[in-house]
This record gives sequence, C-alpha cells and structure tokens, in this order.
Amino acid sequence: MAEKLGVYICGGCDIGANLDVDALAQFVAGGKHSAAVTVAKANPVLCSPEGKAEIEADIAAQGLDGVVCCACTPRAKWDVFRFGEKVQVERVSLREHCVWSFQDDPAFPGQMEVIAKDYINMGVSKLTKSRIPAPEITESYKTVLVVGGGYAGLNAALNAASLGYPVVLVEKADTLGGKAATMYKSFPLSGSFGDKTQEIGVKELIAEVQANDKIKVITGTTVESLAGAPAKYKATIGGTVYEIGAVVMATGWVPGKTKFLAPLGYGKVKNVVTSAEFEAMAKNGGIKTAEGKAPTSVAFIVDTSLLMKGVNYDACGAACAAPEDMPCKEDQPAEAADECEVFTYEDKESAKHLAYSSELTSLVALKQANYVRELAPDAMAYVIYDHMMVPGINEKYYQTAQDDPGIMLTKGTVTSVEEAGSEVVIKAKNTLIGDDIAISADLVVVPTAIVPTTAADPTMNFVYRQGPAFPDLDLFDGFADSNYICFPYETRRTGVYAAGCVRQPMGLGLAAEDAAGAALKAIQCIESANRGVSVHPRSGDLSFPEFNFMRCTQCKRCTEECPFGALDDDEKGTPMPNPTRCRRCGTCMGACPERVISFANYGIDQIGSAIKEVKVPDTLDAGGPRVIILACENDAYPALDMAAMRGRSWSPYVRFLSVRCLGSVNAIWVADAMSKGVDGLLMLGCKYGDDYQCHFVKGSELCNRRKENIAESLGRLGVEPERVEQYEVSIDMYDKVPDMIDDFVSNIVNNFGPNPFKGY
Amino acid sequence: MSNTVKVQPDLKFVKELQAVGGDSLKKCYQCATCSVVCPLSPDDNPYPRKEMVWAQWGLKDRLVNDIDIWLCHNCGTCSDLCPRGAKPGDLLSALRNMAYRNLAPLPIIGKWMSSSAGMLPLAAIPALIYGIIWVLMAGKVGSFLPRFEWDAANHAWIPTADGKIVFGGLFPGDYTIDPIFMAVFAFMLWAFYAGVRNMIKAFDAQPKTFIVGRKSAPTMLAAFIDTVKYEILQHTQFNDCNDADADELDVKRAKGHRWLMFAFIALLIVTGVVATGHWGGWLLRTLGITGLGEIVSAIGHTPMPFYHPIKLLALVGAGLGVYGLVALTKRRVNLDAAKQSSSWYDWYLITLVWVVFGTGIGAMVFRVMGAGLLAYPTYYVHLISVFMLLAYLPWSKLGHLVYRTVALSYAKKIGRIPMGADK
Repeated sequence: MAEKLGVYICGGCDIGANLDVDALAQFVAGGKHSAAVTVAKANPVLCSPEGKAEIEADIAAQGLDGVVCCACTPRAKWDVFRFGEKVQVERVSLREHCVWSFQDDPAFPGQMEVIAKDYINMGVSKLTKSRIPAPEITESYKTVLVVGGGYAGLNAALNAASLGYPVVLVEKADTLGGKAATMYKSFPLSGSFGDKTQEIGVKELIAEVQANDKIKVITGTTVESLAGAPAKYKATIGGTVYEIGAVVMATGWVPGKTKFLAPLGYGKVKNVVTSAEFEAMAKNGGIKTAEGKAPTSVAFIVDTSLLMKGVNYDACGAACAAPEDMPCKEDQPAEAADECEVFTYEDKESAKHLAYSSELTSLVALKQANYVRELAPDAMAYVIYDHMMVPGINEKYYQTAQDDPGIMLTKGTVTSVEEAGSEVVIKAKNTLIGDDIAISADLVVVPTAIVPTTAADPTMNFVYRQGPAFPDLDLFDGFADSNYICFPYETRRTGVYAAGCVRQPMGLGLAAEDAAGAALKAIQCIESANRGVSVHPRSGDLSFPEFNFMRCTQCKRCTEECPFGALDDDEKGTPMPNPTRCRRCGTCMGACPERVISFANYGIDQIGSAIKEVKVPDTLDAGGPRVIILACENDAYPALDMAAMRGRSWSPYVRFLSVRCLGSVNAIWVADAMSKGVDGLLMLGCKYGDDYQCHFVKGSELCNRRKENIAESLGRLGVEPERVEQYEVSIDMYDKVPDMIDDFVSNIVNNFGPNPFKGY
Repeated sequence: MSNTVKVQPDLKFVKELQAVGGDSLKKCYQCATCSVVCPLSPDDNPYPRKEMVWAQWGLKDRLVNDIDIWLCHNCGTCSDLCPRGAKPGDLLSALRNMAYRNLAPLPIIGKWMSSSAGMLPLAAIPALIYGIIWVLMAGKVGSFLPRFEWDAANHAWIPTADGKIVFGGLFPGDYTIDPIFMAVFAFMLWAFYAGVRNMIKAFDAQPKTFIVGRKSAPTMLAAFIDTVKYEILQHTQFNDCNDADADELDVKRAKGHRWLMFAFIALLIVTGVVATGHWGGWLLRTLGITGLGEIVSAIGHTPMPFYHPIKLLALVGAGLGVYGLVALTKRRVNLDAAKQSSSWYDWYLITLVWVVFGTGIGAMVFRVMGAGLLAYPTYYVHLISVFMLLAYLPWSKLGHLVYRTVALSYAKKIGRIPMGADK
C-alpha cells in the first residue's frame, strides 16, 4: 500500500488556464486523504525536466512511495512519469477527462472544478489501495517444442535454434518435410516474383535441421499430452516426458474431404482430379489422364461457387451460444456426468474451407498451369476463376501466367462439369467474352481445401481443466487462431503459438515468415515467464491474480470462465492458479461472487473505493446526475482520449474509470455505485460475438452476460435495469463515443429520473 | 440470353498471331480502355477489346471472320493508353497481316510473304525472268549495256555504238515487259478475286446491325461508291483516326498516305496512257487506220521528252510518292517501340515502295546522264521490284487497297460504319 503520496497538479495543456491548480493542490493537502498525502503541489508544466526534477527531489527528500500525477492521460508521457520500481504512479487525466472534453451545463455552472476534485480523490484513493506486485519467480525450461516437421516447423526449429534455444521437433510422419516435400515446385518464394516456378529446397532444409545439434528430431509420433504451464510444461511424446518452455504448433493441414467437391464432378467424372492429386502427378513422373495418356488440355477450376451453395456464414455454431459446453456441471445428474466426461471433438470441416483457401486455390492453379506448360509443352492450360486472388507481389506471378500463350485465363462462374466421351466439358457463365462458354479438356483439376489439423483433432492434448483442445475453434472453422488482427500467432493457450496453415491458409513463403514470428513469440514467452511477467497483450505486467482461498467457496466460476484456461482445480474445486498461463485480464476477478481474487495493483476493493470517491449530490436538483463509466483500457479508453484530443466534449456528469477488460468488472462495483446513488453505469468495451475484438477474447462477452444477471438483481431492488448498459466501442469510434455517452446520460435523466437510492 | 459458345483455344494460332506482330496480346487484362479511347470504334460491340479476348483464347474462327480489323486505321491510341502494354493496335495489325497471308490462294506465297526468309524465292522469280531476257537480248544486240537509234521506218530500235540508252531496246516492251506484266496483272486480279470471295463469305457470318431511322440497307455498289468517294479519295475515316492530342507525325501519316496513293494513281494513268498509246497505236495501224494510229502511237511513245504532259504527270507522281514515303517512313522510324511496333509486313511494303520509286527515278536520271553501267542494272532492279509489288499484291500489306475497300463497303452496307454522307 502506498502510504506517503505526492500529488502533483499540472498547469500545462490548458489545465492551468481553466482550473485553479494551486487551489486544487490545497484541496488535496487539506482534504479527506490528507493523512496519506505528504506533498501536494501545482506545477506549470509537470512533464518538463523541471517538473520531473521537482517530483524526484520530493521522492528523495520525503521518501514518497507513490506519486499521483494529475495531468494528461496515462497513455501520454508514460515514459516521463516513471520514478523507479519502488515508487508507484497513478495518473489522473485532468486534461482529457476534465478540461478538453468539458461541456458546460448552464443549470449547474462550474462543474469543471467538481470533476477535477472527483478525479483527484479517485486517483489518490486508488494509489492508497495499490501494492507493488511481487511475483514468485521460478526456474523455467528453455526448450522450444516445435510440433510438426513441415515447412513451417522446420523453419521454426531453425529459427529458435539459431537464437540459442534447444528445440524438440516432433513429426507425426516417419520423415520430415510435411506437405512441402510432396510438392513438385512452388510459386516464387523470393527473388524474381515473376518466375514460373521455383524449387522449394525442402531437402536442404531437412538436412540443415538434422545437422543442427540444438535440434532434437523425433519422427513417427505425436504429442500425447502437454501438461503444466508455459516455462514449466511437461510434454509426453512417444511415451517420454520432455521439459518444455513454450510450443510452436506447426501441425499444418490436410486436404479437404472430396465429398465437398462432388458438384464439380469429382468422383463421378473420370478425369476430374483435385489439385492435391495433380500435384502428386507432377511430382511423381508426369501428368496423365485416367487412360494413361498425356493430356492435350487441362482445365483448372478456381471458381467454387457451385460448391458454396447453401453455405451459411452467419451462425458461429456452438461458440456463440452460452457456455453450456463446460464439461460436467455440478448440478447435472450423475448418469449425465459419466457421459459428459467422455471428451468428443467435433469435426469442424465444411465447404467453407474451400472459400477460405481461395487465395491458394488461385496461386496453385496458376502454378499447376505452369506445370502443364513445363511437362506437356503442347498442351493448353485453362483457368476458370471467379476471383483471381493474387494479392501483393503475386500479381507478377499472375502476369507471367497471363503472358504464356498456352495458358488461357477467364473469369467465369462454372455451371456444370460433365463427361463427354473421353473429354470433360465445363460450362461457365459470366465469362470475359460475355457469352456462356463450354470448354472441353482432357483433365480437369478442382481445388483442394486447406483444412487445419486442429479442425478434427485437439492436436496439443492439453492436460488442462478446460479440456485437451483449443476452445471455440468453431469460430474459425477449426483454424487455430484467436485474434488474427492483433496477435497473429497467439492461440487461446498461452505458451502455444500457431504457425503456418494450421493458423490460416498460406503459401510456403508466408509459412516461413510465420515460423519466425511464432518462434520469437515462444521465446518471448519463455523469457517473460522466467521474469514473472505477462507475455501478451499486457506484456511485461508483473501483477497476477491473488486468491484469498480462505473465503473461496469452490464455485468454479473463475476456472470455467478464464478465457485462457489458466486455472486448474483440485478435487474439491479449489482453483489452482498457473501464473505463466495467465494474461492478467482479471476475468477471474470479475467472475468471483465472493470477491476473493484481486491483483496487487488492480483490485475489487480498489476500484470499488474509487467509485465511492465520486461525490454524488443528494438530488438531481442539487448538482445534476452522476454516471460512472467503466472503460476498457484497450479500445474504449483510447477512443475517449482521441475524442477529447479532437475537441469533442460530453456531459459533465460522467466519471470514467479505466478497467483492464470488461471481463474484470465485478458485480459488486455496480452494486456499490447504485447504492451510492449514482444514476447510471455505462460499460464501454470491445465488440463481442463471432467477430469479437476483445483483447482477452471473452471479456466483453462475459461481462455482457453478467450484466443480465446484475440487471435482474437491480430490478428486484426496484432499480431500473436500463441504468446499467454495456456498449461496444472500437478504437476508431472516437467520433461516435461522445454521442453515445450523452445519449445514455439524457436517457437516464429524462426517462428514469434520479436513482431511487439517491440520498440514502 | 446468350448462347453457349464452344471454346476450343488453339495454341498454334495464338503463337502464329504472336509471330506476325501480336506478341504482347497475352498481357491484356480486359479493362477495355482501348475500346473507350478508340476514335473510330462503334458503340455497339466495340473493338479492339473483344479481339483481345478472342486472340488470347485462340478463337481463330471469330478472328478470321472479323470485319472490325479493317475498320481500324492503326493510329495507335489504344496501344498508347493501354495500362498493361498489351498493344491492341498491334494485334489488329497482326490480324490484318494474317488476313494478307491467308485470304488469297497459293498459301506458299502467303508463307513466303510473312517473313524475311521468304524474300529470296519471291525476288528470285522476277530476277530470273528478267535476267534471262537480259542475257538473251545482250546476245542479240551484242552488248550487255547497249545503245540505240530509232528506226522510224521499221518502228524499231537499232543498236549503235554511240546511240542513246533505251531500256525498251534491251527489254522490248512488246515481247518481254508487256506480256509478262499483263500476265502478272491477270494473276493478281485472279488472286484478289479469290481473296475477296473468301472475305465476303467470312463476313456473311457477321451480325447485321439494326439502325434506327435507316429505311433500307444501301446496295453493295452504293456502299462501294461511297467508300471510294469518302474513304479512298478523302480518307475520311483515316483522318478521324487520331486522338485529341495527335502529334504532328500522326497527322502527317494520313497526309503522307494520301499523297502516296495519289502518286500511284498518277503513275497508273501514266502506265495506262503509255500502254494505250503503244498497243492502241499498233492495233489501229494493224487495222489499217494508219494516220490515227501514228498519232496514238506518238502519244504513248517512250522515252518521252520532259515537256510531254504524261511525262510531267509521271514526274509529279514520282515527287508525290517520295513525299508520301518520307512522311510514312519518318513516322514508322519514330514509333515508340514500347507502344507500337512495326511488323515484317510494314517494313516489306515500305521498303519495296522505296525501291520502286528509287529505281524508277534513278533509272531515268542515269538514262538521261548516259551512264549505261548504272542505268541498266537500276532498271533491272526496278523491273524486279515492280513485279514483286504487283504479283504479290494480294498477299502483301498493299493488299489492303482491295481488302479494306471491300471491307469498308461491306461495313457500310450492313451499317457497322455510317455512309460518308451520314457522318
């Protein structure tokens, strides 16, 4: 707990021009927290060298252990307002939340000073309830486990080894090389991107891996289980237990099931093959029709519209439903409990995988058209596409194919594929010549879907309370991805980083890049765990959830709701934290009905107390309404800052509190606020649902669900549920968020009036 | 709505097309900039975009039956503005070249005409014919570079040591030049006849355009007269074949082309007068109408003095021809290779016409100077070049004289382009 605080009020950036900063300093020095406040000063420009020197001098002279900087948003000048490991810092955003965004209300003039005083009190209160986190640092394993010996896996192993980390490389097949070893050639991976094809060089890559003494290669087996936590994993591979720091999962893909290709004649028409089969033909001695002849024409169908009929992209399946899929609820009858212990992993493959693979379908069709020209120079290759997807530099590759007189490319929607004598006739509409066309070919190649190995198999076989598989992969149709926008290699299991086609369909060049990225993430994980800090997204965060087990009722909410499966439990249901799996979002803290989970510097009491620092007038007529806004620090809070910086303003009756994630919002905060007479509480968090943007995946979704329960409880107390709302805000909604706030406030005031608890 | 088209791309055809000047056709990505910027292309089914797809796909049937290739006068605007460097203008040129190669009969000539390798046999035929005549006549008159005097009584040239250079003495018109060129001319007409027949047969597959307000389609004759009047004599479409900011060379191209054409017309008149004079006079004299025969013969008597109106016309023709040639050659040399290129057909024709004019003027100059050693060989080359120009006309780029005339007439008839007066 910070006990000797210095409170500094900055007068720069319009603050001094609008507020009497000296009076505020006096207010702090003589106010309710005066016992904890050792120094309270105003400074014309706090972030100036002089301002910082003044703070440092006070720390040295007075032995301050906490500094409250009442200046700008914590997202600015964070590098200036740092005073070493022993001094905690709390930032009060007078500039953004008070001065710049101020909107005068003629009914109650002079609100700016009221706002400033509330925020300063909240800041001081927060700091007095905050401790410096002291993580337990244990010895960690440094070995990187690479699962999958294909192109991505080989590259990842070499990358990790080149940085000095021991590597265990596990390959399911008996030989290394994966899918790349079965390919004839590739589209250009480097250099001249207009080259027709390039050698992949898998043999050289395998030789390099085998020659590397830091890499232990294990073939012909899989990961039977992965137990423990990052930096302390125990991986069972082929019956042997290995000590593993972090994992690169490069288990790749399998060709999609051919049943989805039936509308394109596959299985019915003799000379229709998949691009995977065609690749094998090219690799193993030449392109031949079913009759064993060299074809004079080969048609490649890139357009998959025939296959996509009836495919629904809207629903996200079970992942969108309430989490009733938790294994074995305690209230289930005994016979059902037996049943639910049998783990089943649903196959997530569908025709959609063909659509997801469309970029590769385009590139592979061009590549294989080049095979035709190379291996059968007198043959024509036709490519019928709906969308030729060759992003970026691959445009060059497309142009090269286009220039070849033996490659005919046309846009077209394939309407049928039928056998006609020894040939196959493809009919297509919407072609480049405007007419419907019929084109016959000796051989027709239909696309192969990239289906991630995680679609049908848990793959990593975690020994986690939440089960052996990655959760909610239905959202990504089995691809091991969790938030591709912000954290490309991240999975829902800290310490396991996905690379290559298991993550999303990609070519070899991107897979090699992925391998480097995932290997670096694995190393970052090892090097964070051994320092007791969080890996991501709160990289470097020393805090971790602390459990007061004395009061734990073994309700298991925290263990079930943790989006990252960080908590295991014992037979009684007592949570067993795994700090290295934890991402410090506080979802467990928000979940706990007994409020036994808190962080040293972010806790239930701390935020609850800060809310209570807001001075609520006894009636609306005595000083207007009050609304608490809990803003997610990842998107909503920056959006508010940006709105204020752009000169937007909003109701003077709102008070913001930054939260790590809406998942960390505990119902008690809402109850506290309401019982204190606050008229409304607004939660601003990330988008949730199947295209969620929550940095902690489930936080805003869980909060929304909890809010329903809270609203119900409030209703029982006679408080209108509409007083508590949750809005989705993304970082680019800075132009909309002020209106959202104003509308919420005016709705509360005009339609619901004062909180019935006001004044008690 | 549309019918299913059976597409059977022909790789050989695409390669052939690339060989005759459409080498960048595969670069097209169907943006249709070319059709939009073309100053001549009709709104309905505009060219050259559609030709680009057909060519890329090797749809031979469609391309060889396509009338639109003759509507293009190759200003090169489409190629200039093509974002992909696909040179649609070159493709249409190449398609015309293919037409020169394939429309007329005797495919061997078409093949020889399509590349520089064929030059040798093509030139060897006239070189041999006139070589033999030269050798035989040299034996008869006693010299390879003989000199002559006019024997008015016998209507013949008598070799003498200190006479004049007379080409007609060495290569007698009556027995060598005229019968050969008549045969050549007949051959050419026959080839054109067959070529035009093929062409019209192909055009019959063209869709007919319905034109609002047009009562009935003009007759082929009316369309032909319109074409001669507007497109040949006035170069109406050709003059329109410019973009808004056409450079000087483009403008000179149309002018040069027109003057060169007038030069040929002038020389055609000269040839006609000389032939009529000579053979007409002979015929009249043979029929016993001696007086008139003498006069007619005198009009066509060669070499003519410089004050002779026909001689003057010949000189004016030569002058116009050289002027036109300079304009056309200058433009072709200055073409930006990245935008528009010149094929073998272009260079063959322009070079051959230069040789015809060069040796024609040269032979006259050397003759007047009395330099027999230069005059006779120059005349010999002149004979070869004129032979080549005429005999292979249906297979050469100059074949457009007939093919384009027919195509434009046909296009006017079916309403693909407007009649001259309706423009």
